[in-house]
Amino acid sequence: MLRRRFTAMGTQIELMLEATPSAIAVRALAAAEADLCRLECLLSRFDPDSELSRLNERGTMVVGRELLELVELALAARERTGGRFDPTVHDALVAAGYDRTFAQLPGRSSAPPLAPARCAGDVRVHRESCTIELERGIRIDLGGIAKGYAADRASTILAEVGPCLVDAGGDIALRGRAWPVGVETAAGTLTLELTEGGLATSGRDRRRWTRGGEEQHHLIDPTTGRPAETDVLRVTVAAASAAEAEVQAKSLFLAGTTAALERANEHGLPVVLVTRDGWTLIAGGIA
Amino acid sequence: MTNHLVRLYASAGALAAFFVAWAGIAARPWAEQPLDPRLAALEQREQRLQRDATLVPQVVDRRWAAYRAALAQSRTQAGRADAPAPSVRVVTLPPVATTRSS
Repeated sequence: MLRRRFTAMGTQIELMLEATPSAIAVRALAAAEADLCRLECLLSRFDPDSELSRLNERGTMVVGRELLELVELALAARERTGGRFDPTVHDALVAAGYDRTFAQLPGRSSAPPLAPARCAGDVRVHRESCTIELERGIRIDLGGIAKGYAADRASTILAEVGPCLVDAGGDIALRGRAWPVGVETAAGTLTLELTEGGLATSGRDRRRWTRGGEEQHHLIDPTTGRPAETDVLRVTVAAASAAEAEVQAKSLFLAGTTAALERANEHGLPVVLVTRDGWTLIAGGIA
Repeated sequence: MTNHLVRLYASAGALAAFFVAWAGIAARPWAEQPLDPRLAALEQREQRLQRDATLVPQVVDRRWAAYRAALAQSRTQAGRADAPAPSVRVVTLPPVATTRSS
């Protein structure tokens, strides 16, 4: 098993490739790493020179293929999830205090959070001219879905050489053979096995901070523009891709326990959900 | 009298032939004509444009094919949103990675 660890997209990335050490395997690992780093340069909202930051600054811009595609994916996800997944939560995240990389964010700040920002803004994608047009005052954050998308792309590169798993800070894309992946439950770790697709977890147990005495976290409810208040602590979803798993995990987190389990069972979406009062619930046909 | 006249015409003819031949030789029709540099530049430019005109469609075709291939690949990937969820089972193996809130 070949492994490569590095830091990108504000998190630890690990690439695993089941192949004998060879020039082509090493090249595939290097190409996957380069692709992840390149996507970070394009899609980070914390880098003022990234393509996403320039789009947020200008409002309308001709963009490259990746940003165009990812914004299209995010908008399709917004429609599919009834608005629970929303890429236009940038200003709401900033208002909650998440205005710099998480590593730079003070865990505790006496400054109160700003007034909640409006979400669900209008975003238009003109595929023919490769142009994205944002409604005035609306900015985009692609944090979660970008990591899933990047993990999917890296796994596509590695799959040319052999079975592989890409772990992008908890967003996991895997191909080629049955991989055992751990999921944190209320009581410990549960191991799930799947062969193809992605896994992602959304929760308020990480990426949280205190501002003006109020606990904040990174999962914004687009209807209020504030960190979501639900009875879910975290939810893990398996889907056909890591990007889709990320979308569904966030959507189910916001939906709350009852609606999340109903939706998981209705759509056959494998889910492990941990409630805030310490229950672990499994749904969506996990055998 | 007739002989004198004939001799006069012959001399005049020979003189005329001599000047015509001399003018012809002085013109050096076998030597290459010096080209106007502006004309030469125009010719070069025309040749370059013709070369480019044949290359441009090739480059455009190649880039278009690459774009179509990349688009098809990414649409396949994007289309996975509608794909059914993978089958998942609980096992007792040690995990190789752990998913966590990201």
